[in-house]
Amino acid sequence: MTNRERAMNILHYRPADRMPAVHFGYWPELLLEWAEQGKISFELARSWADGNAADSELDKILGWDFNWYRTVGAYNGLLPTFERKVLEVMPDGTQRVQNHDGLIERIRPGVTSIPSEDDYLLKDREAFETLYRPKMQFCPERVNYEYFKHFNDTRDPDVPVGLHLGSVLGNIRSMVSVVGMSYLLYDEDEELFADLVDAYADMQYKCAEEILKTGAKFDFAHYWEDICFNSGPLLSPAVFDELCAKHYKKRNDLCHDFGIDIISLDCDGVTDKLLPTWFENGVNVMFPIEIGTWGDQFEAARQKYGKGMLGVGGMDKTVLRLDKAAVDKELARLVRLSSLGGFIPCPDHRLMPGTKFELVQYYAEKIKEIHI
Amino acid sequence: MEAALLQEISEKLQRGKAKDVAALVTQALEQNISPETILNEGLVCGMNVIGDKFRQNEVFVPEVLVAARAMNAGLKILKPALSGAGIEPLGTAVICTVKGDMHDIGKNLVKMMIEGQGIACIDLGVDVDPQVIVDTVRDNDVQLVCLSALLTTTMYGQKEVIDALCTAGLRDKVRVMVGGAPITQEFADEIGADCYTLDAASAAREAKRLIAEMRA
Repeated sequence: MTNRERAMNILHYRPADRMPAVHFGYWPELLLEWAEQGKISFELARSWADGNAADSELDKILGWDFNWYRTVGAYNGLLPTFERKVLEVMPDGTQRVQNHDGLIERIRPGVTSIPSEDDYLLKDREAFETLYRPKMQFCPERVNYEYFKHFNDTRDPDVPVGLHLGSVLGNIRSMVSVVGMSYLLYDEDEELFADLVDAYADMQYKCAEEILKTGAKFDFAHYWEDICFNSGPLLSPAVFDELCAKHYKKRNDLCHDFGIDIISLDCDGVTDKLLPTWFENGVNVMFPIEIGTWGDQFEAARQKYGKGMLGVGGMDKTVLRLDKAAVDKELARLVRLSSLGGFIPCPDHRLMPGTKFELVQYYAEKIKEIHI
Repeated sequence: MEAALLQEISEKLQRGKAKDVAALVTQALEQNISPETILNEGLVCGMNVIGDKFRQNEVFVPEVLVAARAMNAGLKILKPALSGAGIEPLGTAVICTVKGDMHDIGKNLVKMMIEGQGIACIDLGVDVDPQVIVDTVRDNDVQLVCLSALLTTTMYGQKEVIDALCTAGLRDKVRVMVGGAPITQEFADEIGADCYTLDAASAAREAKRLIAEMRA
């Protein structure tokens, strides 16, 4: 069996010879740590990205079968982007920068954490109509037609590849910040936020449609959202349902029309309040099922939502900082979850600094011993 | 009349109507309602309702943010009157995101909710060196240190702050509260924090309790 067959069989409740060893990449600091320990080269550490050649090379070294985040898609950001500008340099070296999305961030030298959100350009109807809506239009430059025409012949046949559908709300949050999103939802122009969501979604739908019309075949489709935090969603589930449900349905119906029936969605944090909107509108795979926020609740969620709810993730990555006994204990839990079907264990986010190289190899070897 | 106006301040605050709250606070002062009453029965009362609803998942982050913005609009008008009347805050908290971490949404939410309880906050910002926190605790009348971390890569920075407070002989001067996406009660216990809370509303409630404990 190929890893592609294994993964797709498991997500369709069909037999597979074994569990594939699936991962979700690494924090760059971890790869540099491993390079300093002499486990991998610095070149490999610095060149890694999801699904690239360095990712495949690391898969071989560590024993992984593939990275779930091996997706391709259109360019669905603002086009043209805003010019990146340094607005101010503070005495401690911190820069206030207007980024390509028009978000103003504070970036501190030497800090690799994502920047701090400081301000944003999209504050009113005029900014939306003049600065943003024109950059959210579909145009052929967004799709690499040549690449997708040859996609079926050039893709790696051994691993599943997903069509990236973009996001419905996640990228908008990136454009205006969490605070900006909140203010836009409640400030005087009540239609503005809905118009923003609609304009951005319509463009992404068109991008997906254009790619699918090239004849390129995908094993699954995928969204990135990240719109929840450790005590719930970043906005009211009712508002989310009202603004976003129709867009998931439209994009997922399109995928179904082109034969894609596995639709995964990446959202960290406590997602349970948003699950009904996602499941009722065609999303069926939750990823990466963070243990810190889900706890050991996948089984309970399966009971609630039924076999239509699939999962990739749910492996407590922190055990890979400990010892073999801790990994074995986690593996025992994953064996039980895997027996439910429709579930592929995968570390519940990027592997973090302190993760032991040999324990990753051990886990990747052992997870393959799970038989479905 | 007075009760109706205070009720209106509370309700407008809960709906995030910053301009209305500012105007109503001005009106209340003009009607000679005491600043302390406006603060406690208008603004803090409204924030408490929002805090309770947030904890019970009846409202979400956007509603808290707009309510906090309205609270600040009211406080801006009220502060000179509060100072004039000699009204002191319940206590002082130092708040920041730890070294290496630039995330500040959670930290800011907690700060807004804590201020909504009548506690003064010294906000040290993000990516804060433990020594800066130690110096701030040493140089100010502080009862509480609130530490935020969003990443599994930076959560151990909270332990570094607690260790630095111990080394400086200041650990007994303050209570330490920790929070953030990867933080759990087990982790808080492991690093020797005094308190962990899951959300900003609970953090504000616990902050009030911890400060009262320290001042007792």
